Amino acid sequence: MRYRVRHSTAYAYRHTVDLAAHLLHLTPRTLPFQRVEAARITAAPAASRRREGVDHFGNPCTWLFLDEPHAAFEVTAEAVVEVRFPAPPPAAATPDWAVVAEAARQGGPGAWEAAEFLFESPMLPGLPAATDWAAPCFPAGRPVLDGLLALNARFRQEFAFRAGATSLETPVAEVLARREGVCQDFTHLMICALRGLGLPARYVSGYIRTRPPPGQKRRLGADQSHAWVGCWLGPLHGWVDLDPTNDLVAQEEHVVLGWGRDFCDVSPLRGVVLGGGAHSLTIGVDLEPVEQPAPAGLPAEAK
Amino acid sequence: MVDGHGGFRPHWRPLLAALGQLGREVLTERAQQLDRAFAEEGMTSLLPGPVSAPAAWRCDPIPLILDPAEFDSLAEGLAQRAALLERVLRDVYGPQHLLAEGALPPALVYANPAFLRACRHPAGHAGPLLQSYAADLLRGPDGRWRVLADRTAAPSGIAHALENRRAMARHIPEFARVTELRRLLPFFDIWQDALQRLAPAENPGVALLTPGHASPLWFEHVVLARELSCALVEGGDLTVRDGALYLKTLRGLQRVDVLLRRQDGRTIDPLEAEQNTLQGVAGLLDAARTGTVRIANDPGTGFAEAPALAAFLPALARRLLGEELRLPGAHTLWLGDPSARDQIGHGFDRWLVRSAVDGTVRSIRAGALSPADRHSLAQRILAAPGEYAVSEALDGSFTPCLSPEGLVPRPVMLRLFLVFDGQRWHALPGGLARTLAAPDPASGRRPRTALAKDVWVPAQDGLDILGPRSLSIAALPIRRGSGDLPSRVADNFFWLGRYLERLESAARLLRAGAARLARPSPTPREAVELKSLCACLARAELLDAETAQAGLAGIGTGALSRALLRAMREGGPVAGLLGQVSRLTELLRDRLTGEMHLALQRGLRQLRDALRGIAPARDAARELEQLDQTCALVLGFAATVAGLAAENMVRGGGRLFLDLGRRVERAQNVVAELARALDQPGAATQPARLEPGLRLALELRDSVITYRSRYLTVMQPAPVLDLVLADEGNPRGLAFQLRAARDTLADLAGEAESSLVTLAEQLLEETRDMVREVAASPAQAEAAIRLLPRLKAMEGAVAALSDRVSRRYFALLPAPQSLGHGSSTGRLRGAA
Repeated sequence: MRYRVRHSTAYAYRHTVDLAAHLLHLTPRTLPFQRVEAARITAAPAASRRREGVDHFGNPCTWLFLDEPHAAFEVTAEAVVEVRFPAPPPAAATPDWAVVAEAARQGGPGAWEAAEFLFESPMLPGLPAATDWAAPCFPAGRPVLDGLLALNARFRQEFAFRAGATSLETPVAEVLARREGVCQDFTHLMICALRGLGLPARYVSGYIRTRPPPGQKRRLGADQSHAWVGCWLGPLHGWVDLDPTNDLVAQEEHVVLGWGRDFCDVSPLRGVVLGGGAHSLTIGVDLEPVEQPAPAGLPAEAK
Repeated sequence: MVDGHGGFRPHWRPLLAALGQLGREVLTERAQQLDRAFAEEGMTSLLPGPVSAPAAWRCDPIPLILDPAEFDSLAEGLAQRAALLERVLRDVYGPQHLLAEGALPPALVYANPAFLRACRHPAGHAGPLLQSYAADLLRGPDGRWRVLADRTAAPSGIAHALENRRAMARHIPEFARVTELRRLLPFFDIWQDALQRLAPAENPGVALLTPGHASPLWFEHVVLARELSCALVEGGDLTVRDGALYLKTLRGLQRVDVLLRRQDGRTIDPLEAEQNTLQGVAGLLDAARTGTVRIANDPGTGFAEAPALAAFLPALARRLLGEELRLPGAHTLWLGDPSARDQIGHGFDRWLVRSAVDGTVRSIRAGALSPADRHSLAQRILAAPGEYAVSEALDGSFTPCLSPEGLVPRPVMLRLFLVFDGQRWHALPGGLARTLAAPDPASGRRPRTALAKDVWVPAQDGLDILGPRSLSIAALPIRRGSGDLPSRVADNFFWLGRYLERLESAARLLRAGAARLARPSPTPREAVELKSLCACLARAELLDAETAQAGLAGIGTGALSRALLRAMREGGPVAGLLGQVSRLTELLRDRLTGEMHLALQRGLRQLRDALRGIAPARDAARELEQLDQTCALVLGFAATVAGLAAENMVRGGGRLFLDLGRRVERAQNVVAELARALDQPGAATQPARLEPGLRLALELRDSVITYRSRYLTVMQPAPVLDLVLADEGNPRGLAFQLRAARDTLADLAGEAESSLVTLAEQLLEETRDMVREVAASPAQAEAAIRLLPRLKAMEGAVAALSDRVSRRYFALLPAPQSLGHGSSTGRLRGAA
């Protein structure tokens, strides 16, 4: 599928901001299954200094520094992306989940990069309750993908998707106790549970298409940044992306921005401003399928 | 000190002889001197808080002596170890071959809280990541030193080593004649040179980044900045503009090329920090990545402090250096490795249990635990073995320490320091030894209190003679201005000046009150003066409004004298002023000369003791006597500080702001107190009623004698006002303050930028005008009373001048806030 994505973020400050620094993870990552045909980020007011780079996880990122006083700041990221996730292997053909866990623990060739996603991370401390909750999906000897799909399905069954019920500071333990939250909460909870079992799991930041395929229900998490879980199937099969919010295996409806251990590593836009006082924030996301090649008006930047 | 055969090691013999000559009594006395010296000017006063904790680091008079050959082999071994850690760091923060090939387990890297992903450069780093390195060593049962812990983030303790040496030389000079020692100072020359070399620029700006005076290591940072001749700065002093780092100074932004980092690498850039922090400088890591600023040690170097890394170093040395480790580490196992778990089995009593990745966590000596605690520890290890490492528990080397029972052997741990000059590693020929108390597990964060020892490395004839180093630093341009002063420091000096003056003024007011209350019933004149004084005391917040009202109404002198005593006692407003002076003195510690700091410290301690000693007495006269004596102490302190500032501080920089603060505060006090003294009911019709007010005005300005010498005893408004307001020669009068403030402002700004100077001149002219008007009037008393609104206006104008100084020079920046991380609203909601 080919998509055009437009993601705008606007801050309005009560007082003037004298100095601002922003770190953006807003450029889709180029992957074997995701071709970024064009991408650009525009800011108003324009940054006095702008740098492009790649973070530790290999995600593209952009730094914007503003040293003129301003009362509002808007960033718009646009991209044209062609994406087709590889089909997951037959679940029954994937290794025993305990074998995958042992491979990750040992690290070394083929497994060392996945092993990074085994450990506690800034927003995700170890949570035995989450692991206990997930454990029934992983009886001894079960193929890893079997277990993962079962766990992925349980969110739609057991949790309520409720915007505004939680905030960025709501601990995963509370999400588990209240059985409600949004995509980020479900993603964090599932990661926590899997790491507790010794299975590498990573936070994938991106988008899901705004309008569903014909005849299907509207997806949860559209119109906004979306998040889901990257799960490791062992050195042979690598990663598969599971969306617990929608009980989906990512294939044609998701676009990847980047990944990290949790939200903190790939926050689409974080910043430090001097002054500003209270502020309001408006976010708009559009992910629309486009059939024809990218229009010429969009130069390929910051790929 | 004893070799394997029970004989003394030869390099101890000269010291033993000197000890014998000194005798135990003298030695004990010297030890007490050392303690006092440390309490007054050294380690103890580094601790945060207004009152120093008494039980901080002490220094034992018996040094630890290292045989020169032994020291050299330690230095060589540690240089190899530092080079190895550098290679490991460069790999982990670069291509990560060691992980890919399985030479390092992922748990040691990815679960390490000091592994900073923002510092990763997959393509590799240009410069060295480590510039300074320290290691903690213990002697094993075979007499050989072993490394117990590596300090790579921002190794601390070197200032202790230096101060121990200085204090020992000063207080036990006999020892200096015992043996020629290798000198410590050349090490700092090498270090300073190495810092300069890091920068591409000529004459680079070098700054030491400290978390500030609340850090337990503040003293260390002050000493280091002084020894390495670099600016001591906090995150708030710095800003990143256009990808380069700058220090905010009075003269504007000044480029910083090299940052000696003494702040946790995790908090130096809030834009990229994992925790939600607002410490540090936004954009600093970006500037470091582009190479416009070099940070030493690199923010990510704390990674190499992971205790479990030691288990892999022998193999890593072979792999990365092609060498065996020259200096063994304490035998260490990482429990994430199943074979290591088999090795220790169940009997881990002889092991020191440590966090695998966090070098600041205290280790546990398993053998010293109760059976129940040992069991629960074993359970925790079993649940997450990868989070633990164990090292063999070493007892350390026993060396003699002075105790009330004479010399007793105690185990010591040794910290040695190294610095990399770009080519090779150099070791400080000395170090920091500390005695281990019984429950001290010897690893983890350095304790806040301990008994330290100087570390001696005797010089060998002809081998260690070092001439002055020829440094490759370009000649410095001559600078005399104050422009390099960080704005924050100038602000602190300004307020130190204001609080010192406020303290002095409070003492004068209280003393004037005490003098008038001393008799059972005040004379009518004194009663009038007391009312004016009450108004002044209330303005200075030395009296609460209610007591002041009662005083104004002329009732309850007993209540009044008790209130004055309360103002002076512990917990009262005077104590509050002392607290402010004390706080600012600590903040400015690195900017004050040693003598000045010592005088302030001593004086403040005496005053605090005096305030504490004030006790309510049954006898009112006794109370007033106490009050009077304490006032005299405060005034003496103020005079000492003013004298020291005048004689010891270089004119310029901090001195100018200290002075400015004092002048502005005093000017306000002169005007405010004069206005209250002249505010006498009925004086307009009966000029004689003004007289007590005029007398009081002279007294509060300490100008009675001057007046008498000029005008004898005739009290008239114009001459009094001239002396209090317009006479520029009276250092307690208003004109003197305004003139001095004007000159200081002109000094600071240069004559060109003159709006503040002009303002001060206008106030000066208004002052003269007021006095002229009264002098020209046939009815002076009436004219003087008509001045009241103008005096009020003057009070406001001086306050406005102070505000404008603050805005112009201290550039109060708005508070930073973070977006899209933690508490912000940049949240993914996923609207359904």
